[in-house]
Amino acid sequence: MEFAKKITESAEEIFSTMIFMNVTAGSPMEEGKEDLGCHVSAVIGLTGDLTAMLGIHCPEQVGLGISGAMLGMELNEIDADVKDALGEIANMVAGGLKERFSRENIKLELAIPTTVAGKSYTISSPTRSNRIVIPFSVEQGHFFIEIKYNLT
Amino acid sequence: MGKTVLIVDDSNTMRKIVSRALRQAGIDFDTILEAGDGQEALTVLGANKVDVVLSDINMPNMTGLEFLKAKAEDAAIKDIPVVMISTETGADIIDEAKSYGAKGAIKKPFTPELINETLGALL
Repeated sequence: MEFAKKITESAEEIFSTMIFMNVTAGSPMEEGKEDLGCHVSAVIGLTGDLTAMLGIHCPEQVGLGISGAMLGMELNEIDADVKDALGEIANMVAGGLKERFSRENIKLELAIPTTVAGKSYTISSPTRSNRIVIPFSVEQGHFFIEIKYNLT
Repeated sequence: MGKTVLIVDDSNTMRKIVSRALRQAGIDFDTILEAGDGQEALTVLGANKVDVVLSDINMPNMTGLEFLKAKAEDAAIKDIPVVMISTETGADIIDEAKSYGAKGAIKKPFTPELINETLGALL
């Protein structure tokens, strides 16, 4: 189903057209630690021909850098603007995934994104789901896009 | 008299980005109004003279499609052109939006050039 390829293409398109940051995708990880060492996460649900949760997880400085570039302003703390910007990126990545799957006649619907921030949190998802984590590099460091999915 | 655009999106970030993209596209609106969902948009349209609306689809409270339906039923505002600007640009959704009067659609992520190309025909 090429989840990683679709997510990477979608993310690269968003970063080049609306964030204006150089981003480099690393090798997808199908297994790995659950704690990615991040301080802000935007998540969005997808339903339809498969059920999935897509999340963008950023350390604080990376979240500030990406959001600041997107808004064209300097940001110094994880505030409503940062949460909103990362939620919108999650929404667009999920939208890109939906569009790419629709070309294969796989129908998906998007929920409304939500964002959480803090020094220690966990995000639960359906058990026994498949998991892929893609690391991305930007000037400020690494962030991760994760998808957990079940075929329905 | 200068032109006015209404940007409808539940994301404050996206409203700022659309405003910036309009400037980058060289489209000068004298007034940029904002609304966070379809219900707010109806209120803004009822109180202001608006030349064009750029609306998201996937919003809480009142979605972009629900907004289009409600707008089409109000004689005072039904002729104001609306362009959808959304991640939701599948043919089925866009066809439905056009059936309620939408004049076009811009897919997120978008470029200023795409905004210029789409809005240019309406202004």
